[in-house]
Amino acid sequence: MPWFRREMRASHFAFFMNVPTLLCLGLVLAYPVVYAAYLSVHRVGLAQLRRGEFPFNGWENYGRVLEDPLFWVALKNTLVFTAITVSSEIVLAVLIALLINQTSVWTSRLTRFLILLPYAIPPIANGLIWAFLYSFQFGFLNRILFTAGLISDPVNWAGNPNTALYAVAVPYIWRTLPFAIILVHAALQGIPRELYEQASIDGANAWHRFRHITLPMLRQIIAIILILRTAFAFAVFEEILAITQGGPGDATWVAAWYSYKITFAPPNNFGMGSASAYILALMIGAIALVYMRFIYRRVTL
Amino acid sequence: MFATSRTTKLLLHVANLTVIFFILLPVAAVFIGSIQSEKALQADTRRLLPLEFTLDNFTVILTKGEQKGRIFEQVTYLPDNIKSFYTAFANSAIVAVSVTVLTLLFGSLSAYTIARQRFRWTLFLLQANIVARFVPVIVLMIPLYIVMRSFGQLNSLSGVIIAETGFLLPYAILILAPYFDTIPADLEEAARIDGCTRFGAFIKIVLPLATPALAACGVIIFIISWHELLIPLILNARPDFMTLPVVIASLVGDVHVFFNLMMAICLLALAPTVILVALLQKYIVEGLAAGAVKG
Repeated sequence: MPWFRREMRASHFAFFMNVPTLLCLGLVLAYPVVYAAYLSVHRVGLAQLRRGEFPFNGWENYGRVLEDPLFWVALKNTLVFTAITVSSEIVLAVLIALLINQTSVWTSRLTRFLILLPYAIPPIANGLIWAFLYSFQFGFLNRILFTAGLISDPVNWAGNPNTALYAVAVPYIWRTLPFAIILVHAALQGIPRELYEQASIDGANAWHRFRHITLPMLRQIIAIILILRTAFAFAVFEEILAITQGGPGDATWVAAWYSYKITFAPPNNFGMGSASAYILALMIGAIALVYMRFIYRRVTL
Repeated sequence: MFATSRTTKLLLHVANLTVIFFILLPVAAVFIGSIQSEKALQADTRRLLPLEFTLDNFTVILTKGEQKGRIFEQVTYLPDNIKSFYTAFANSAIVAVSVTVLTLLFGSLSAYTIARQRFRWTLFLLQANIVARFVPVIVLMIPLYIVMRSFGQLNSLSGVIIAETGFLLPYAILILAPYFDTIPADLEEAARIDGCTRFGAFIKIVLPLATPALAACGVIIFIISWHELLIPLILNARPDFMTLPVVIASLVGDVHVFFNLMMAICLLALAPTVILVALLQKYIVEGLAAGAVKG
């Protein structure tokens, strides 16, 4: 019998099936993650890259990042951005999922058909489209508000330091909301109808049914969305690049933008960039561990 | 579920229309922006609909800047990246298709073993994938840039394909594994009694049954890859190897590029994934739910 016809031991089979994945994960994820840690404790600039020698400098990169006031501004903006986007997404996702669940209403069926549209838009295109919407002189948003008679002077949505962070939060929510809605909507289908029927017989009104049946049954999915969206909102990048580039001033500098600029804009400090990216990764890593523990309590695959 | 009186129905319609308005607002903006000239845009800054319509923005992109039309007649400067639209589109397609195929191939092998072969290390692999899904691209970018630089993989499509495949593989495994878990093991066992190898049973029995999950996973990976900006942005600086998102990003902050031209290229870039989502909505919904909950 040729070798490929012979029966393999289960453990060998499992190993061979995973060789491509292990190679990929090792090359693209594990090695770079370790290498980033190495870079973050070495001096790496363009000169060092050219020479191929990275002198060790201990915690200096981390020290310089933590002493940089801009880093703390970026961190604060990231936290505010995450809090705004995640909390609004959860509230909106529950409301809209309940809305599209009303299959007897024809507009709900229309909404349900359109709900996934933002998921199809490339993030960078989304950013640019909203940059056009917000444009001070030619913007589409100001045009709508003029036409509706709601404003008499143009509003500089993304150019005002007080509103800029909200101005980038809205496009981000717009793009990522479908994911949350779909998860909540899927969870709604899993709630037994008998619970609602029984509650109606007992005289519970719509609010009571929502408060005492729907909401408790959605607790797990809301926790999952909370964790996933928090981790991803921490690393927001495209909308910042397209709409504000961190401005005006430092109003929308976020953590990922900080790492990107430190590294890929002159003077190209790769070491400091790695250190700041690592701080971001450790925070997201903590969130990921919470997620895994949470998933495992319920599901043993 | 709820008592639907006339007032409730009316309120529901109003709520739906608000949501629909919010969903369609950017789509209307990109559409209306792309079919008018900068002049028309500047002529009246308060008008909602343009004074005149034109397809010149698309013409100039699709003819690589050769046919300028009325709008761009007097324009002397056009960014080179606009002219390389076809190259960028082809690059995006090559990258997205390759990444999808590789990810599905490697991902289904792994996901199947994770679902079927319960060893301590396959469980660990699943956990590693769950954590890996959270690794933000920005952390990998700096070492990936240096690694790819030393391998001479900067400015090539293969570098981008390798990086994206590795980056998306964990997500694909998380989408596929729960599905393989639901396929009854009896079928493979019957096939193996008839003399099939483990691998043969996987290829002949399990994979055909998993087509819906493969479709769901494939379309999601294609969309994410088509949208990916950071990896190609950092690895490919030469116009020959740019993907569409990189071309779009290169227009940001170029004061000489009109919003109308940007909206036209955005519309061309988002069309393929919008069509995919419209056609394969059912699969995407299933895949997204599977990848987040059952992982």
